[in-house]
Amino acid sequence: MNSSFTRIWKVGLLVLSLLFPFAPAWAQTKQTVSGTVADAKNQPLPGVTVLVKNTTNGTSTGADGTFTLTVTTDNPTLVLSYIGYKSQEVPVSGRSQINVSMEGDEQALKEVVVVGYGTQQKKDLTGAIATVSGQDVAKVPVSGLDQALQGQVAGLQISSSSGAPGGNTNILIRGVGSISGGNEPLFVIDGFPVSGAGVGNPLNTINPNDIESIDVLKDASATAIYGSRGSNGVIIVTTKHGKANQSHIQLDAYAGYQEIAKKIEMMNAQEFAQFTIDGRNNGYLDNTPTTPTFTPRITDPNSVRPTNYRIPTALLDPSSLGVGTDWQDAIFRKARIQSYQVSASGGSDNVRYAVSAGYFDQQGILLNTGLKRYSFRANVDAKATKRLSVGISLLPSYTSQDDLPFAGHYGSFGVIQAALAQPPNVPVYNADGSYGSTVPSPEAQSVSVQNAVKIANEYKNPSTQFRLLGNTYAEYAILPDLKFRTTFGADLNFFRSQIWTPSTLSTSAATGPALAVARRGESINWLNENTLSYQKVLGQHAINFVGGFTAQRETSDALAVTANNFPDDLVPNINGGTVVGGANQGGNSPAESYQDYTILSLLARANYVFHEKYLLTGTIRRDGSSRFGDNNKWGTFPSASVGWRVSDEAFMKSLRVVNDLKLRASYGLTGNNAIGNYRAIGQLGNNNYIVGDALTPGLGRSSFANPTLGWESMKQLDLGLDLAVLDSRLTFTADVYDKRNTNMLFNISVPGATGLTNAIVNLGEVQNKGLELALTTRNFVGDFKWTTNANITFNRNKVLAMSTDAEQIFASANGQTANSNVTMRGYPIGVFYGRRQLGIFQSDQEAVEYGAQPLARAGDVKWKDIDGNGKIDDNDREVIGNPMPKYFFGFNNTFAYKAFSLDILTNGSVGYDIYNGMFALNNSGVQNNTQYVYDNRWISPSQPGDGRFGRTIRGGRNNNAQYSSQYLFDGSYLRIRTVTLAYTVPAALAQRIGLQGARIFATGANLYTFTKYQGYDPEVSTAGDNLLAPRSDFGTYPIARSYTAGVSVSF
Amino acid sequence: MKKTLLSCALLTLGLSSCKDFLTVVPQTERTTANFYNTAADFNTAVVGTYATFKHAGLYGNGAGSLIWLGEVASDNTEYGTPRTTTSVAAYEIDDLNYSLANTYFRDAWLGHYQGIARANAILDHLPAVSFDAALKGQYEGEARFLRAMFYFNLVRLFGPVQLLTTEINDPYGTASIGRSPVNEVYTLIESDLQAAENTLPATITAANQGRASKWAAKALLGKVYLTEQKYALAGAKLKEIVDANVNSLMPNYADAFLLTTSFANNREVMLAVQYKGGQIGQGGNFYTQWTPFAANSPDFGFTNGPGDGVNRPTTSLIAAYPIGDARKAASIALSYTNTSGVVVAEPYPVKFRQTGIIKGESDVDYPVLRYADVLLMYAESLNEQGQTTAAAAPLNQVRTRARLANTTAATQTDMRLALEQERRVELAFESQRWFDLVRTNRFVPVMTAVGKPAQTFKMLYPIPQRETDLNKNLTQNPGY
Repeated sequence: MNSSFTRIWKVGLLVLSLLFPFAPAWAQTKQTVSGTVADAKNQPLPGVTVLVKNTTNGTSTGADGTFTLTVTTDNPTLVLSYIGYKSQEVPVSGRSQINVSMEGDEQALKEVVVVGYGTQQKKDLTGAIATVSGQDVAKVPVSGLDQALQGQVAGLQISSSSGAPGGNTNILIRGVGSISGGNEPLFVIDGFPVSGAGVGNPLNTINPNDIESIDVLKDASATAIYGSRGSNGVIIVTTKHGKANQSHIQLDAYAGYQEIAKKIEMMNAQEFAQFTIDGRNNGYLDNTPTTPTFTPRITDPNSVRPTNYRIPTALLDPSSLGVGTDWQDAIFRKARIQSYQVSASGGSDNVRYAVSAGYFDQQGILLNTGLKRYSFRANVDAKATKRLSVGISLLPSYTSQDDLPFAGHYGSFGVIQAALAQPPNVPVYNADGSYGSTVPSPEAQSVSVQNAVKIANEYKNPSTQFRLLGNTYAEYAILPDLKFRTTFGADLNFFRSQIWTPSTLSTSAATGPALAVARRGESINWLNENTLSYQKVLGQHAINFVGGFTAQRETSDALAVTANNFPDDLVPNINGGTVVGGANQGGNSPAESYQDYTILSLLARANYVFHEKYLLTGTIRRDGSSRFGDNNKWGTFPSASVGWRVSDEAFMKSLRVVNDLKLRASYGLTGNNAIGNYRAIGQLGNNNYIVGDALTPGLGRSSFANPTLGWESMKQLDLGLDLAVLDSRLTFTADVYDKRNTNMLFNISVPGATGLTNAIVNLGEVQNKGLELALTTRNFVGDFKWTTNANITFNRNKVLAMSTDAEQIFASANGQTANSNVTMRGYPIGVFYGRRQLGIFQSDQEAVEYGAQPLARAGDVKWKDIDGNGKIDDNDREVIGNPMPKYFFGFNNTFAYKAFSLDILTNGSVGYDIYNGMFALNNSGVQNNTQYVYDNRWISPSQPGDGRFGRTIRGGRNNNAQYSSQYLFDGSYLRIRTVTLAYTVPAALAQRIGLQGARIFATGANLYTFTKYQGYDPEVSTAGDNLLAPRSDFGTYPIARSYTAGVSVSF
Repeated sequence: MKKTLLSCALLTLGLSSCKDFLTVVPQTERTTANFYNTAADFNTAVVGTYATFKHAGLYGNGAGSLIWLGEVASDNTEYGTPRTTTSVAAYEIDDLNYSLANTYFRDAWLGHYQGIARANAILDHLPAVSFDAALKGQYEGEARFLRAMFYFNLVRLFGPVQLLTTEINDPYGTASIGRSPVNEVYTLIESDLQAAENTLPATITAANQGRASKWAAKALLGKVYLTEQKYALAGAKLKEIVDANVNSLMPNYADAFLLTTSFANNREVMLAVQYKGGQIGQGGNFYTQWTPFAANSPDFGFTNGPGDGVNRPTTSLIAAYPIGDARKAASIALSYTNTSGVVVAEPYPVKFRQTGIIKGESDVDYPVLRYADVLLMYAESLNEQGQTTAAAAPLNQVRTRARLANTTAATQTDMRLALEQERRVELAFESQRWFDLVRTNRFVPVMTAVGKPAQTFKMLYPIPQRETDLNKNLTQNPGY
């Protein structure tokens, strides 16, 4: 065994052996205490922290104000605390049931925070961790917790790149850290670090209603315990567990409908006809030379014009056309959304349980799309003996999803673009009931776009996923303060998806070849964790230690095959045709892909608190992984942090206005192991040859074995401040950070003498630095309560080093022709890079005088001659926009008056650009365009438009529609995310009708978005998780506005 | 104790050790780690090394660097397309005016070293695996033969080169290795071929068509000696082939190249790059790509045209064929009839012609070593040793087959020119001409005579800029 492998154990045991002499073998009694906490008006108080005095043993009250706590100290005293209420100390005095009434208005901050491999009191925290309660997650009617977290946490940037039910989200904690590796944070569900196996967004498999709390670990002090997986931050999800002697059954239900939040205003049929005529006329004049015998004129009939400049017969007379078809109305619908969950929890002192069953059904606002989820949860905790407790948690779910090719070119069935591009004079259905379409093109000069409704009805892309996340544990109290815990769990995923394109669906002809794709996969991810924890308070010293080792392995096997040569459409799957190979249409990709990955870890964390003022945390993890090369198998990830609770100093005691003031500092190293499997292993590629006049398999090395390949290394410094003033009516947290990701995964050029031209190595550096502010104020606390939660994040991203200073990595979203984004030294990752538009030439004379664009005429786009050589070409490109916001924020308010409450959640993002590459802005008189283009295009010097859009022209020699800053738009927005009005039935009334409690609510989501952005939604990113080409809009699934109403009843 | 603790824990999980646990092997891809274990693995690796012939830096499928550097850069052919911004690199070769970033000799560098790395990998792993000795000898011989051929091309194209005899596993492993002197490179080439000629099989069965025989190794070794001006050794080695009487000239010149000749009957071609149509990714594009640029003609006999004009015969080459030379019509068509029925007087090579095919899907193989070359080299080695009279016999054998009278050359100098002329027309379009002119030190006068800016330093190509950028110890050839 690697000698340094054992070093952490040595350190851990050293710490333990130092501690043992102080650990007297008291014979301690263990008892369970439960109770109810209510306010002065006897309303149950949820979320109250209940702690055993002088320990870190604690819990918090549930929604009904109850708690259960196992107490191991002699003559224990419970300390109850809650923001806005005076802390209370209640001696247990042998009771097992304690009911407490809290008095309002007092200093707090004693919540428990879930950290990796344990919990910690918030007041003792030295790292940057934010907590979101399950209640806040459940407030937003969405399929996944990722969407629900938006705007709730400073430093956590979540954008829904697609509005589809269960669509993809980009989740970033403190910016984009990696160029070629993964950027998603690590998700830990009930202690189990999961990965993104399966189809679609893996977070769709978790019912947000099952969540007790979510903790977001941001700085190195908090994330280093997750070692080589911590550098993108960690999101810990804790599901609900039962509480002793408090059984209740709860029903949560809501239902409602959704509609498109914003339609893009398009030209009507009459305007489109005029637009087309202008485009063809301008193109005709631009491309037809005047000769001594012929002068082209816009009055020339189609018969003398080349095909491209002919006016489609149907559009020759705009005045004969009316408004035409609204294709968006044709493909979008009012769609239902509903969610039901029954849960039961409770138990005795020895066994506690929490089970639930849920059903979630979200139709998409786009025809024939949607998501359904059946989810279950069973958490059981039991005390097997006095010293041994065991438990199991199971989270099975079944998700089924219907998708369409939402984004992308209509030529590959991009249904949104097909709807927007289709000429509005084309009906959805012809008089004979057939689909109206320009496929096949009625005449050579027409655009050819398939009917979007037909695509939505005939293209099939269903997928299903069964997931079982299960974890068992046993915890044994070796000594009252020393516990050994072992867990074993597995995350099982079985998924399938299909694609079927019938022969009736073609993008260019009446019929086309049918195609079917079938995918099947399974992944098994198992984990064993073994930890030893110790905690002790001795006078003014409090110490808390956890150490252990873990082993995890994930294997997955996916099959993907394509079939074509279908004789008919009778069997709409691969069986109906001939299987030709892998899932790429050419059948060249491998049909089976088996992935395997292991990780073995040693971890330790020690907290030390002196005088309750001076806080010290040290964390170390050592990870070995199959992904790393043989010479670099093990990485060590240490962090250290200190905290100073200034408010507890004597000199601060007199400052009564300050209830709490803590300064924090942390520094540490974490890693990013999202470098892909087998990258360190040399692979062989096919190099077949003809031997004996027959194709003969040959192999040659295709990649280096890189025995030194390792994780990306993130060094992070964090300085933080926590402040509570005015009787904790105002609490404030600020963090500044500087994150440096080095040793990034990079594909470099290598000398040809090696026999290869490229290699994957670790190098380069990216920086994210920023400021996070979070503020909670309780503006009113009487009968009328008003609480404000606000957070704002400023992050700056910069590439500090690439493999060479001149290196540029170009990228663009799928379907986009231009290399729209670049990653290069000195700039943020994926900045927009291209020509800079200076304006529109107002006259031919102006274009001639400019000189650099010899083919330009009046109404054409003028670009900057960046290299000053008098010629516009590919060298005239520069950074023209930034896809990363200057800042983003959440601003959430809760108003309550007696039994009524009103929640208003808003969030926004400011100061970033979006590349709108949709056909709807190409101004060429071919596809339908937006009303904005029609109204603002250049027509003549007296009708110059807005200076962004030039003359409408098809095939113009200046090529106005090519990618430039003309197509970049400010994406800044402010969104009213949810508004919820709720009525909580007073306890007395509820009990009279046999209920423990009841709540009725109505929610409106995505009610309005304030933005100047032209497209559907400013969170768009067609490239999805490809963060090298962010914020491109090539037709996205628009977000839905929803109206729901629901009840929550407990028995 | 800690070790034991962890080991116990691992054992409970059914894991033997952390090292095993952390070692995973791809199941759906082949890796360098789970390969080179059986005779079949080595066969696959050897086939993969032969496949290097199809790299863009060697023969490609009709437009590889060796065709550009061996033919277009000589007086034999020219690039028959309009000069545009996209044909800059090609015209640099045609004009003998090289920029350091030119892709043709860059690809030649990359391709040959790719082949060398594959051969080195085989030679590295072979000793550790035991299987049938004859087969093992064959694979070793093939790896050595191919490595020698790749180095022989490199040393002739670039002069001193990086000399690597084991597989490089570190991406930076060659980044500070400088160039080895030419004589050291030749020492390796000679020893590889001397080993190969002993272990390669004497006969290649039809099932092994395309693989090297001991005679191919001897022919290549003869060419190496000749290039090194070791004329006695060259003569002796080439005489072995002549005396063995295994190889012979086809009675008709054209039959040496055409598909109508079966492998068993073709005793002239000693090694050829293998092609096969049928859209399996192995089709040849020599003939089809060498037809006139942008032209379509029923004469061409293939669909999915037009031609690309890659290797257009120069007027100088066309004039080089004496009257009555049977090789002229077998090598060059002087005109074609376009689709409008108009005859266009533009020449194109027809030596590797196959009709009734899709463009780029030809079955015709491309010769690398053949017996006519052996005879002419043998003649050259005799002439250089002063045996001019004796040299006439093998030369006349080639001329007789071409329906020409015996040579009249009687002096050593005349015989040199006679051999130069004979090689030019006999081996036209076989990527030999530039190497012949350089070997005989005739590059400057011959190329100057056709109006090309030939200078002595251009008898070596520049080291590609890509490589000098990545390795500061890689010096540039003089003159560049």
